[in-house]
Amino acid sequence: MTELAARLAGPLFSLLLAWSLGALVWRLLRWARTPQPVPIPLTPAPRSRAGVIARLAGELFVFRSLLRATRITWLSSLALHYGLLGILLVHARLLMPVLPAWMVPVLQVSGWATLACLAGIVVLAARRVLIDRMRYISVPSDHLHLVLLAAIVLSGAALKRWWPTDLHAAGQFLRGALSLQWQPLPAHAGLWLHLTLVGLLILVFPISKLVHGVAIPFTPTWNTRGR
Amino acid sequence: MKRLYPVIPLIEQRAAAAHVAHRADPQTSEALGYPGELVDDWHERAVARLGELVSGNRALRVFMDSCTRCGACTDKCHYFLGTHDPNNMPVARQELLRSVWRRYHTWTGRWLPWLVGARTLTRELLDDWYRYFHQCSECRRCAVFCPKGIDTSELSMAGREILATVGLGQRYSQTIVEKAGRIGNNLGLKPAALVDVLENLEEDLLEETGVPVRLPLDEPGREVLLVVPSADFFAEPHVDGLIGTAKLLHAAGVSWTLSSHASEAANVGLFAGSVDHERALAERLVEALRTLGATRLVIGECGHAWRVAASRLPTLVGELPMLSRRRAEHLCELSAELVATGRVTLDASRNAEVVATYHDSCNVARGAMMGNSAEGAFELPRTLLRAAVPRLVEMADGATRRETFCCGGGGGLLSDELMALRVQGAEPRARALQAVVEQEAVTHLVAICAICKTQFSGVLPEHGLRQVRTASLHALVGQAVVLGHGVHGGRA
Repeated sequence: MTELAARLAGPLFSLLLAWSLGALVWRLLRWARTPQPVPIPLTPAPRSRAGVIARLAGELFVFRSLLRATRITWLSSLALHYGLLGILLVHARLLMPVLPAWMVPVLQVSGWATLACLAGIVVLAARRVLIDRMRYISVPSDHLHLVLLAAIVLSGAALKRWWPTDLHAAGQFLRGALSLQWQPLPAHAGLWLHLTLVGLLILVFPISKLVHGVAIPFTPTWNTRGR
Repeated sequence: MKRLYPVIPLIEQRAAAAHVAHRADPQTSEALGYPGELVDDWHERAVARLGELVSGNRALRVFMDSCTRCGACTDKCHYFLGTHDPNNMPVARQELLRSVWRRYHTWTGRWLPWLVGARTLTRELLDDWYRYFHQCSECRRCAVFCPKGIDTSELSMAGREILATVGLGQRYSQTIVEKAGRIGNNLGLKPAALVDVLENLEEDLLEETGVPVRLPLDEPGREVLLVVPSADFFAEPHVDGLIGTAKLLHAAGVSWTLSSHASEAANVGLFAGSVDHERALAERLVEALRTLGATRLVIGECGHAWRVAASRLPTLVGELPMLSRRRAEHLCELSAELVATGRVTLDASRNAEVVATYHDSCNVARGAMMGNSAEGAFELPRTLLRAAVPRLVEMADGATRRETFCCGGGGGLLSDELMALRVQGAEPRARALQAVVEQEAVTHLVAICAICKTQFSGVLPEHGLRQVRTASLHALVGQAVVLGHGVHGGRA
């Protein structure tokens, strides 16, 4: 039974990735194909294409509007997102059979990235509970997204530090799932837990508010030039 | 500078629930192509219209998907700061619509409504749509702070359009759209009445200045067609702005005219969320331009008018090849040019007693641009004001320029039954103003929007600011104009 599950895990993971990517592309196309009847630039707006790109980049990479709105949310969001980015970069190690030299410094960020991400999650979750305005607007999935992210980060940190698993076997599993040459998932409760949670995240990503970052370039208030 | 709101107020559920805009007369709604009363199948029609609007509008489509309820906007709306009603937090206002969108138009909302906060559209919720989409002045301040660039006004407009579709039109906006479409202006002033008004103004001007300053109407072959909000024809303090404009244009020798066909700058079609009505009103401008043969279209002191003319006109009515500058111009652009090129001289000592502060009107600040620089919409009016008055004082950061607070009466809410809401909505502006009145002895609050002026004249006394005069920018400019100085008979 366990062995069957270990063999099915690979195809299932591929399926999840395909779903997520497919659904995301469908969503992007739907945004792109929906007409914008009247331009609605939020001014002052840049008059050049380069200016529009700079504006979008500022929103995408440094969350400029959020900085204007609230410092604490801005800082915790930056910590969460850049922490996640660091964690993803470290995971790139799993895609490579041998450790390339350039990867060595990347691996150094692991601990800091994890801490930053967790700190961001804690502050954002605390706001949702402590501030009455946030309590009013939050729906169950808002809390659950944060819980899911925290569980993924914590289980991942545990795998690396206190609940060691065979990372080479995990890498083989991942490369197998990506290349459709599936490898069995190593029998390790912590790894199974971590991957189940990651699978859930991949599943809900394109059909939840988690797509917000991808939506930013399509946002007509920002991507329209001022006249 | 001290923050305007060091402590954000706690929410008070349904604190603003009593403020309900009057419903439109059935005849008016029907004249605009909407049902006169709530239709029996309102539920189906509302859900279907929501789907249609989202499918045809990328902004709505993206905004349905991209909100994370991060809360950045929750303390940014003047109606929330003034009423403490949580439904006036922009995200909560959006969720009125978005939760219904999720329930009927997404898989997760259909199958797991409790998980994703999807709501069934009930009669109570429909009434809350009517209530709270008419407690949004569509000022877009929240959008400045939204990390996803979500513009709540787009959702309020969509909500209003859906409400009109099921027979719940709002009296203020529908009456005006109908009147402006039929007669040419929001007040329903017929051409003969307009002639009278302008003749009276010319007589007053002659008496006051000894100079025959004209207010030409429907005169063909003039270079500039000036379109002002109809309030400028007689409301106080608006009319002083029109008088000031006439003096300025006279002194500079600009060849200009008003139009009785396009005697309204404001485009309330924008408020109501109907692009068709907005286009129909905008087309009157083009018709007037053609009939009169003017080659410059100049928009007077009206916020929404300038947003429509600056950002939306080419999309609504196509390019305007007859315009020598290729686009509509704002009166401030024209005036600043006349001052900068020396065609008029302003003497600030004629406003000796004035200590002014400038209120950036929301649709000018966040919906349009002026001049050649990105900040022109903030700088040009201030440049004019500095030339016209001895002292200009700025209100607190966060209350001006792109972060300016709405006057509390915009977006179709300038009606009497909403007076209590309008007073509360003006609280942030009043707070910022109070500070400069105390510290800098400000005497005049200057605006370039007809709604702002009407609103402030009405609500500032309620905030203990009776002594502050609400003024048109061009009233002060006109007061400072040195008449009989400048090139007469020339062209702008």
